[in-house]
Amino acid sequence: MSAQQTPKSISSISFGLMDPEEYRDMSATKVITADTYDDDGFPIDMGLMDPRLGVIDPGLECKTCGKHSGSCNGHFGHIELAAPVIHVGFNKLIRRLLRGTCRECSRLCLDEREREEFEDRLERSEELGKDVNDVTKAAIRQARKKDRCPFCGEPQYDIKHEKPTTYYEVQDVLSSEYSQRIVAAMEPDEEAGRERTTPSELADETGIDPSRVQEIISGEFRPRQDDRRAIESALDVDLTEEDENKLMPSDIRDWFEDIPDEDVEVLGMKPARSRPEWMILTVLPVPPVTARPSITLDNGQRSEDDLTHKLVDIIRINQRFMENREAGAPQLIIEDLWELLQYHVTTFMDNEISGTPPARHRSGRPLKTLSQRLKGKEGRFRGSLSGKRVNFSARTVISPDPTLSLNEVGVPDRVAKEMTQTMNVNERNLDNARRYVANGPEAHPGANYVKRPDGRRLKVTEKNCEELAEKVEPGWEVSRHMIDGDIIIFNRQPSLHRMSIMAHEVVVMPYKTFRLNTTVCPPYNADFDGDEMNMHALQNEEARAEARVLMRVQEQILSPRFGENIIGAIQDHISGTYLLTHTNPEFNETQALDLLRATRIDELPPESGVDDDGTPYWTGRDIFSELLPDDLDLTFTSEAGDDVIIEEGQLVEGTIDDSAVGGFGGEIVDIITKEYSNTRARIFVNEIAALAMRSIMHFGFSIGIDDESVPEAAEAQITEAIDNAYDRVEELIETYERGELESLPGRTVDETLEMKIMQTLGKARDSAGDIAGDHFDDDNPAVVMAESGARGSMLNLTQMAGCVGQQAVRGERINRGYEDRTLSHFKQNDLSSDAHGFVEASYRSGLNPKEFFFHAMGGREGLVDTAVRTSKSGYLQRRLINALSELEAQYDGTVRDTSDNIVQFEFGEDGTSPVQVSSNEETPVDVEEIADSVLDAEFESESIKSEFLGERTEPTNLSEHTDDWWMAEGDD
Amino acid sequence: MVDVSQHELVPDHSIVDEDVLDDVLEEYNIKKTDLPKIKRTDPATPDEAEVGDVIKIVRNSRTTDQAVVYRLVVS
Repeated sequence: MSAQQTPKSISSISFGLMDPEEYRDMSATKVITADTYDDDGFPIDMGLMDPRLGVIDPGLECKTCGKHSGSCNGHFGHIELAAPVIHVGFNKLIRRLLRGTCRECSRLCLDEREREEFEDRLERSEELGKDVNDVTKAAIRQARKKDRCPFCGEPQYDIKHEKPTTYYEVQDVLSSEYSQRIVAAMEPDEEAGRERTTPSELADETGIDPSRVQEIISGEFRPRQDDRRAIESALDVDLTEEDENKLMPSDIRDWFEDIPDEDVEVLGMKPARSRPEWMILTVLPVPPVTARPSITLDNGQRSEDDLTHKLVDIIRINQRFMENREAGAPQLIIEDLWELLQYHVTTFMDNEISGTPPARHRSGRPLKTLSQRLKGKEGRFRGSLSGKRVNFSARTVISPDPTLSLNEVGVPDRVAKEMTQTMNVNERNLDNARRYVANGPEAHPGANYVKRPDGRRLKVTEKNCEELAEKVEPGWEVSRHMIDGDIIIFNRQPSLHRMSIMAHEVVVMPYKTFRLNTTVCPPYNADFDGDEMNMHALQNEEARAEARVLMRVQEQILSPRFGENIIGAIQDHISGTYLLTHTNPEFNETQALDLLRATRIDELPPESGVDDDGTPYWTGRDIFSELLPDDLDLTFTSEAGDDVIIEEGQLVEGTIDDSAVGGFGGEIVDIITKEYSNTRARIFVNEIAALAMRSIMHFGFSIGIDDESVPEAAEAQITEAIDNAYDRVEELIETYERGELESLPGRTVDETLEMKIMQTLGKARDSAGDIAGDHFDDDNPAVVMAESGARGSMLNLTQMAGCVGQQAVRGERINRGYEDRTLSHFKQNDLSSDAHGFVEASYRSGLNPKEFFFHAMGGREGLVDTAVRTSKSGYLQRRLINALSELEAQYDGTVRDTSDNIVQFEFGEDGTSPVQVSSNEETPVDVEEIADSVLDAEFESESIKSEFLGERTEPTNLSEHTDDWWMAEGDD
Repeated sequence: MVDVSQHELVPDHSIVDEDVLDDVLEEYNIKKTDLPKIKRTDPATPDEAEVGDVIKIVRNSRTTDQAVVYRLVVS
């Protein structure tokens, strides 16, 4: 395979540590000079910009591979470090190894039995796909418990880790004041009942020569270890103090080199791939210049990448280290330089380590080093690999257009002229292709580019378009503008479910916004208060076919979330069908035709009846029935509360409202989608929307402040009802103050009082609403909307006309503010309703200042709640999606993750898709499917079956335009 | 002590025989370790089940009457 080609498949990946020898082998050059370019602007040999590390300047040739910039990926170099340093990324693992292995013989401090146990557990963990780290951690913990190495008997010391890269051995050494401690312990102590110990007694007891004891006591001789122990036990004193012995990286490297391969394996590492000593760097790879390109500023000055700056620092210190060591500098200086080298190598890899000051640029900005390039939202993984900016996409504001089909989207012409589709020119589309090219890039159905069979791309311009059009031949490719009927993908963020991305057919339109049919607002959760949406033009036939068959809006009418339709009539559509069918009004011929004129119905059915003066009329229900399939039978209860009966495609009785044609489970839409087809459902929804718009315009529909006013008599009734409630609350408060209020089970008296007051006031608001409701006509627009389920509720109406009611914060009456009162307008400890946020007024009458304030308190809580809820649930959703994203339904019906672990033996335990199963509670099984399978078994072949059952032509799944033909063929 | 296996909401858990198990593993073309897991200490695992055994769980289902699931007992 040539280096140009990308590998087609990756059979395996293995991660491990890198052998320093490997660094040297792959290195194109050793880097020894800290400078980049010489005075003439040429890269210095064996410097950081050595031409062997790759090329970034166009026109130059790579000295290693001979390729030019763009095709040469660059080559690594290396720096020989003067002294080993620790790789920060492994500081935890290094600590673990230091703690688990013997300081003398480097073997893992576990006996045979323990080793076997951990080996077993490791194997089992790997098999079960559990975290191997848990086992290795446990192994280290076990090994750390040992005081002495089980193999060589060497005592083990605790390892102290000072983040990020310093390690100490904590040892017990002889205290500097040992003689004083011995003398003090030899003195008599009355409290402890101890007698004086003479030096000779001590000598006898410990078996040390008496003269030596004298020397020890006078501090002239430091006792050896066993002597010290003997004295300690004889006198019952502690002569030691803790001392920290710093482990230099070279010590650690020597230590790790001796760890046997078998022990490394118990710790979950593969010694063939990663020896522990490789975690201590002796060679530092220098990234190719292509990974740290230098840029030339406007003034001709070169500006280097952060990584290059860091490498310069490393080389400088490295050099200084070597010079000092050769000159025989004192140990202290060497150690300082060593630490400095460690710091630079550490920050080269990660510049955001806690405890270390970040390395800074001259301007004071922290440098962006290796791990900063990878980490975080804008890092390589999340920013450049999983998500990147895409071509052939457009974004603009959306606005409604009821004349579009729900499958379509209006695309501004200036977008259509930019997003191109590739035409492969052949004999049959040659004329079209030439026409597009002849139109040039400015006129609408034009073309922007052509590609000759030899692969050369030519830009179509106003000047050359005529000329170029004649040259186009079969075999050319033309990038033509988007035209009506093209398929595109449309999306609105946040993309929370699969209906957030759907395919639409293009309708090219003037002006600057994307146009949508309003029935697709619920799946996108879109409105037109400034929402923007994204469009993606598809670039190959497979994508276009797949989008058309699987992703088109009509294929998404049923939601997999609840198995019912998510697309259907909304808001004014529902008010419209309600007005049309609720009172079943009569229309003359002109009116009836006008209502149906935006649908495919162009002939009226037989009249519903004849007027007194002989003119025929059509009822609203009969007009609605024209849109139903001819053989539909259905009964259900409507939102308005009456029974809807549909027989043979005729609406016999009932009101068509939200529960019939609405989104989120409108019965008729649901049934048509499931029993007929998605195409039929799309036609139905489109026509319902068109009919509803016509009918709402016929009747006229508006709402104003007077629509919520009630007669004075009713107003008086409402005031009375509220006054009564006030009296009852007063009574409650009096009983409470007398101490006669009986508490409800499980509550205190105060809680009981609060509850009862809330109850009373709640009832008061409801009765105010009832009184107001009684005085509204059935044709009141607010009532129509609430009854039909189009928008709003009776509660909203109550608040507008009757009384807003009790305001609450945290589910209680308002209790906050000043000491013992809510506002300074009230007496302290006032329990009355108006002092705790009961709003007596209605929105129409207007709130007084105190009421307004309480209302604002309740309103604020609602706003805060929504804000908190969206962010919380968004994060929860992100985590769930990340956790479940690798699960996949397999062809054998099981659901498995990427490592073939079974998660479900049958998708959803029943292997059915929620959109294919009936949504009926009582019969959750798809009876039709079962009937089909019984029929299949009954008949010998397809032809006999179709002869017996008759045929129903199914629509093709191609385009809006072909479906019209199918509808014309059909009989309904 | 309450025996949860007798509770109406706890489906039937039974140990799968060695030869039946082979058929199951072959049907799904998997190793034993690819099965979902259940803890030995889980109150619903039968008392006689040991680590490495496979448990068959038969649940009642609204849509398919019975849904069968296998789980590997782990420590």
